[in-house]
Amino acid sequence: MKLYLRQAVRKYRWQYSGMVAWFIQRATGLLLLFYLFLHVETISKLSQGPVAFDAAMATFSSPLFKLLEIALLGTVVLHALNGIRITLVDLDIGMKKQRHLFWWVTVGIGILVFLAGAIPIFLDAVLKV
Amino acid sequence: MELNITLRVSRHPARNGKAFDEFQVKLEEKMSVLDALFRVQREQDSSLGFRCSCRVGMCGTCAVYVNRIPRLACSTLVKSLESDVVTIEPLPHYPIVKDVAVSLEPFFEQWRRAKPAFRPRNPDSAELARIPKDSKYRLLTPTKRDCITCGACFAACSIVGMNDHYLGPAAINKAFLRILDPRDAAREERVKILDRSLDGVWRCHTQFNCTAACPRNIDVTDSIVRIKRALLWPGRLLKP
Repeated sequence: MKLYLRQAVRKYRWQYSGMVAWFIQRATGLLLLFYLFLHVETISKLSQGPVAFDAAMATFSSPLFKLLEIALLGTVVLHALNGIRITLVDLDIGMKKQRHLFWWVTVGIGILVFLAGAIPIFLDAVLKV
Repeated sequence: MELNITLRVSRHPARNGKAFDEFQVKLEEKMSVLDALFRVQREQDSSLGFRCSCRVGMCGTCAVYVNRIPRLACSTLVKSLESDVVTIEPLPHYPIVKDVAVSLEPFFEQWRRAKPAFRPRNPDSAELARIPKDSKYRLLTPTKRDCITCGACFAACSIVGMNDHYLGPAAINKAFLRILDPRDAAREERVKILDRSLDGVWRCHTQFNCTAACPRNIDVTDSIVRIKRALLWPGRLLKP
């Protein structure tokens, strides 16, 4: 198992990173689809009146949901930046540099944007507790 | 100091219930994976099955899965793998003939479907058709003509694994070259085959596995993406 893991890391970290990017796009896409249903369900509470909606909002302000919010931010950032990479590649921009685009744009800039958004959310949640 | 490597070789059919056999091989400075396989076959187990022909990376016969990556056994130096355990398996997506030798029939079935043979516009012409050095076709294609039909891209492509009917990267690249060729007469026919929704270029998910696997460094994904763009915007195929 250790051997296969070592070989997989060696394979996908650079030469086959296009496959990693593809997998990330699919996985984050499915997570966002799940979130979309949750979002529509929450918004539909408005039709049941302000009490039901406020109750749902109260649930979402718990520390657990703050952590999930941070995870959602990471998912959106990865999906969006990788989507930009795919669009550029399809338009023949950076085709030869697609691996650099993945690591520097999707992952690199993605981490910076994620941290810029996640730290305030996390601090807000900690300060409120 | 003598260095040994462990060669884990996949066995088909399994021997004594084991899917892999392990062999200790003395590592030589310029030893290729094919050399290591030969050493095992000559000194330890003469029943080991693998394929090879030219031994210089020209014929593509010896493509195998080395440490989970499709490679030419003859052109892969064991030292370059930077691992004391080398796992050798048959290429995925092909029927296994014996041990690590596979039949390339599925690959060539798709290859034939892409109509790889050149069809001249004027078959009776006595004159040679010249391709000027500075023509767009000449400028775009040199790096894409080196395919040795080793089948590594077909093995690396995950879409091939999910869809038996998909043409596969090498066949698409070949059709792309024929379509670009100004002397060829079967362009429309090939475009129709590539444009099919279930098994044509639209099945490609731009994972770049074929480009990563190609031992001749052909940018196969680039050919596929160019065809997709040309199908959407006719006339853009030859943009260098």
